Amino acid sequence: MAAVLDRRITRDFDWILVLLAVGIVIFGTMQIRNAQPTEIYWQKQLIGLGIALVAMAIISFTDYRRLIQFAPAFYVFGLILLFLVLTPLGVKVNGQQAWVKLPVIGQFQPSEFVKIPTVLMLVWHFGRVRTGTLTLKETLIGGCILALPVGLIMLEPDAGQALTYFPILAVVLFLSSIKIRYVLALLLIGIITVPLAYTLGVKTGKIKPYQQKRIEAILDPENADPRGYGYHTIQSIVTVGKGGLTGAKGEDEYSQSRLKFLPEPHTDFIFAVTAENTGFIGCALLLLAYGLLLSRLVTDARRSPDRSGMLVIMAVVGGLIFSIFVNIGMALGILPVIGVPLPLMSAGLSSILSTFIAIGFAVSVQLRRFVN
Amino acid sequence: MKFIDTSQNLRARLGTIQIIAFLVLGLLGARLYYLQIVRGDELKKRAEEQRIRLLPIPAPRGAIIDRTGKIVFVGSRQTYNIILSREDLKGKNLETLISDYANGLNLDEQFLRERFEQIKTQPAFESVLVKENASQSDIIWVDAHSYEHPELRVELQPQRTYPANGFLSHVLGYVGEISKEQLEDPRYKNLKPGDIIGLKGLEAYYDEYLRGIDGYRKVIVDSRGRIQQEIEVIPPQAGQDLITTIDSDMQLKAEEALDNSATKRGVIVLMDPNNGEILSMASSPKFDPNLFSQRISTKEGRKEYAALILDKDRPLYNRAIQGRYYPGSTWKIPMSIEGLMQGHITVEKSNLVCGGGITVGNKFTRCMGSHGSPPLGYAITKSCDGYYYRLGIKMDAEGYEKLVEDFEFNKKTGIDLSGELNNHYPSREYKKKRFPKEPDWRQIDNVYASIGQVHDEVTPLALLRSIAAIAIGGKMYVPHLMKEFKPVHAIGEDTESEDYRKPRDGFVFQRQEPKVISFTPAMHKLIIDGMWGVVNGGGTAGSAFPKWENFEVAGKTGTAQVAALGRDCGERCRDHAWFVAFAPARTPEIASVALIENSGFGGRNAAPATRIVYEAYYNRKMGIQPDTTSNGQFAASNAKKQGNRQ
Repeated sequence: MAAVLDRRITRDFDWILVLLAVGIVIFGTMQIRNAQPTEIYWQKQLIGLGIALVAMAIISFTDYRRLIQFAPAFYVFGLILLFLVLTPLGVKVNGQQAWVKLPVIGQFQPSEFVKIPTVLMLVWHFGRVRTGTLTLKETLIGGCILALPVGLIMLEPDAGQALTYFPILAVVLFLSSIKIRYVLALLLIGIITVPLAYTLGVKTGKIKPYQQKRIEAILDPENADPRGYGYHTIQSIVTVGKGGLTGAKGEDEYSQSRLKFLPEPHTDFIFAVTAENTGFIGCALLLLAYGLLLSRLVTDARRSPDRSGMLVIMAVVGGLIFSIFVNIGMALGILPVIGVPLPLMSAGLSSILSTFIAIGFAVSVQLRRFVN
Repeated sequence: MKFIDTSQNLRARLGTIQIIAFLVLGLLGARLYYLQIVRGDELKKRAEEQRIRLLPIPAPRGAIIDRTGKIVFVGSRQTYNIILSREDLKGKNLETLISDYANGLNLDEQFLRERFEQIKTQPAFESVLVKENASQSDIIWVDAHSYEHPELRVELQPQRTYPANGFLSHVLGYVGEISKEQLEDPRYKNLKPGDIIGLKGLEAYYDEYLRGIDGYRKVIVDSRGRIQQEIEVIPPQAGQDLITTIDSDMQLKAEEALDNSATKRGVIVLMDPNNGEILSMASSPKFDPNLFSQRISTKEGRKEYAALILDKDRPLYNRAIQGRYYPGSTWKIPMSIEGLMQGHITVEKSNLVCGGGITVGNKFTRCMGSHGSPPLGYAITKSCDGYYYRLGIKMDAEGYEKLVEDFEFNKKTGIDLSGELNNHYPSREYKKKRFPKEPDWRQIDNVYASIGQVHDEVTPLALLRSIAAIAIGGKMYVPHLMKEFKPVHAIGEDTESEDYRKPRDGFVFQRQEPKVISFTPAMHKLIIDGMWGVVNGGGTAGSAFPKWENFEVAGKTGTAQVAALGRDCGERCRDHAWFVAFAPARTPEIASVALIENSGFGGRNAAPATRIVYEAYYNRKMGIQPDTTSNGQFAASNAKKQGNRQ
């Protein structure tokens, strides 16, 4: 039995996926060190990787179906954690009460972790074998599952994290027989209403002037107030551009992050640091690695033994695509500055841990693809 | 796919998500390519620009030195300035800053407000001077507040130091910060706000030679403007030292003479008639040029400046070139030589009737005495007005115009100082311009113009120039203060480099050929005899001078009427006293002009002032120990001490 298991583990364990993820984290740790050489963020990140691998292993060798069975319990636990953030146990950093400090465990960011119970809860609801197209009732329940954590996160307030929840639901709905014409209609409505809502929001004062400035800084960063709202975007663009083809060589001392022109270089703007240090070549390789990682996950989803396994993996894929797009888009000056970490690259234990837990689910699904 | 799900085309939907992932990554890649490859160089330059700063190292100005090259009148000493880097002002409340600085650095709030205004209007420059001549406690304050105010920086600055007591102030002038208007002047094309330039006197006239070229430190700063590292230093190139023609001893004596004069307002200029070198130029009252180089940005300094501007005695202006006075009877000297040259009188028969005055139309203009029908020499010695009334009538407008032309009274002397005024002079054309209500040249004008009233209004320097020319027989030099500029060596070795500073060659004053006014030695002798008589032959300056051996003084007094006759307006309407002179009478080494404002008769006031200077000159020439009790010595040693360059 043990031998059978061992053989199956070496055969079915998704080494490619895990190695890609670990590779990106190590590359990211080098960049964190470049960004903040005098701080211990990079060492912390390595420790985080160790913890994350252990967590991933535990998830991998647990049957994901069993975990989905307990989804409502996890989900409620997650909501409690998010609620704790708003209590005196919460910790405020940079004006956002997004962290919670618990005895023994220490300080962490629940909004990162609660994505997982939310995914499980959605899969618990949508994972059964489908017989027809998506019903309105199903959709509304899915919306409610999402609304509770998102609502609590908005109270922190952390709009960036809240946004990362939406693609999870979108992917789940998309893969739950939602009619294509609804998808197209929704896209169309989005294209029309977003600019309209923006204009109306500005006129009615619902969009606050600082938010408006941030958006304007994106639409035209070169002409935006370079000392005010455009500052971060412009400095990020300059940092990225400075890297050129192969990266700025031999002037680590004067890097944009060392001279503090680039804010939050080890977290939100880690991609700009990467761009400065490794140039177009390094960044293109990183994008390629993300592409392979995502492809690998989609392949795993295709191979999954059941609908719920497929949904778990694809929900994770949706979350990853969105985070990668928003974070790098921000660093490249095509999206507004929103505090969304770059998965596997940004320093932060919560982020790396939750991403590896998500990968653990994918591995778990893989390991069980021939069971039953 | 391991599970059957017929209700949806799941495979296609998974494929769609995968394609979206690739599209997103592709879009990011394209943007990355645009920023790093297409715009890479431009953005790289931008990153460099924002982290590299050039901090100027101000160059010391050339010193200003006496004619012997030994006494430094003006030098520089090292002081500290507090500079504001505009880079780090973003998002700060200026009013809070203003009150912070005003309290911490003891500055005037109004002054700071003007400075901040300047920042707004001159966005191209990155630093602004907040406080000059910072004290030790100011520097400590800046250090202690480097966290709240990273925008403040302390910079070393050579500061101009002038002699105490306003010694030579009008000649030296002063330096100050370049103005907005001057920045647009092509003369100052490489300068920036806050730079120091010469504003008055020699400092202004020879600014381009005295001024050095600033060096700079190339440093790397962080986003808050704090210096991280120095990359290179380009040392400044000092300005060239100026050796002047000023004779320190004579200048001290001239100033002392004015200080001890009746009204303490006036001017004494001493010149070498044989080449135009100005040995001393004293104008009283004086001012302290250190006000402009050291204290102008303080509250007290601004008050002091306002007081100077409002002072009725006008201490800021150099009476030698900016004061215009009726020459009075001193005008009779150019009149006399022109009378002879134009043939209205001759050496053999120079007599004209005095008549105690003259009647023109129904108006009688009197002479101060009754001199019969004196010859020219006697008319000069006794300053007979009646003689000159008649000579003036003989000369008429044409004669005056020739006089003006010959002695260049229609021009500035061309001395190497800025701000010189032109004279008013007798001429038909000029009268039309000056007195448009009475445009015609009438007989009475000939009378007035003959004794240096109404039409003649000259600067003391212009008058001195004409007297000096007559003294040496007709050669008229352009007066000047510059004797030599010292060379300065090059900075840097690579002559191709942008930072190379060419050596600056030394040079001496390029003297123009003098204008020659041709008259015969006999004419010359006649005038000199008359002027000798003024001092030594019972003339109008009779008791003023002793008879020095081989140093007999020739001169002419003048008393310039200030107010219309019969009008009494107090002290400021009293006559100005003049005395022009040279010595030795037959072989002049020095020529001088002295004017004491509103002191009355020239022989009694201006001549004794002149004597103080001549006596010092004579004593030094003869090796006689000067009077050591004179307070001038103190000023001299003071000048030496303060002026030392570091």
